[in-house]
Amino acid sequence: MENAIFYIIAGITVAAALMALTVRNLFHCALFLAIAMFGISGVFLYLNSDFLASVQVLIYVGAVTVIIIFGISLTRNMMDERSKAMNHQFLLSVVVAVFLTGIIVAAIQESPFFGSEHPASLVFTTVSSDQAQQPNSYEVSGHLFQNGVSYLAGALLKPENGFAFAFEFVSILLLSALVGAIVIARKDPL
Amino acid sequence: MNNIPLVHFLYLAAILFGVGMFGVLARKNAISVLMGIELMLNAVNINFLAFARYWNWNSLTGPVFVVFVITIAAAEAAVALAIIISIYRHLHTANVDDAHFLRG
Repeated sequence: MENAIFYIIAGITVAAALMALTVRNLFHCALFLAIAMFGISGVFLYLNSDFLASVQVLIYVGAVTVIIIFGISLTRNMMDERSKAMNHQFLLSVVVAVFLTGIIVAAIQESPFFGSEHPASLVFTTVSSDQAQQPNSYEVSGHLFQNGVSYLAGALLKPENGFAFAFEFVSILLLSALVGAIVIARKDPL
Repeated sequence: MNNIPLVHFLYLAAILFGVGMFGVLARKNAISVLMGIELMLNAVNINFLAFARYWNWNSLTGPVFVVFVITIAAAEAAVALAIIISIYRHLHTANVDDAHFLRG
């Protein structure tokens, strides 16, 4: 049952992604992209990443799609029904995309991940008594899970993990992207 | 706990990456190209999380990389839309094939 729901979500995601990139009306494209992002958030839930799934909904469905809809509204005259949605490379693009996907699938089937049916059962930590006492973890049917938020916060900010500098640096990147986007989109350039 | 094989996540990510690549290559409108790029980045995120969860349950690196990819994708979307609006203001089109004045 759980597995069936995963395949349904995956099918919806792929179908919505295909629609988002083939439908002519750009507003419909953005809405299909939101559906695809919802599906990817569901896939994240299947990978036991509760925090990242909610971040996916917040950022992609909430922010990026709205920004894209704003962009579509501000560049409006592409909405006329006469113009084609695809450029002259359409057939070549289909060939390239199918070929690329085929290469990746073939590489996966050659890889050592392919043979093992349930690799998850090999690597899950079983609960030991001292681990189960940790405040941010909980146990479901013999497996130890950690609270996603505090787990990721510790991963990012504890100095011994080495991600603290990158975490601070990416905030500078966000600030510079904010300023840069405003400067680029100004009516009178600086 | 689900018992979906790891390769099915990888297949899903590969298909999403191919769909995004198709959008980047084939669409005329620059905003659609941006949507394709976002889809490709999300396919990569699925791969990161799948490997992190299935290979080393206690690994920190996969989720942390997903956080960074999401952050940088958001910044990229903002800057890309600013560029698209600027191009639209100068050329009165959002068609990537018409914005070729840097081609030389």
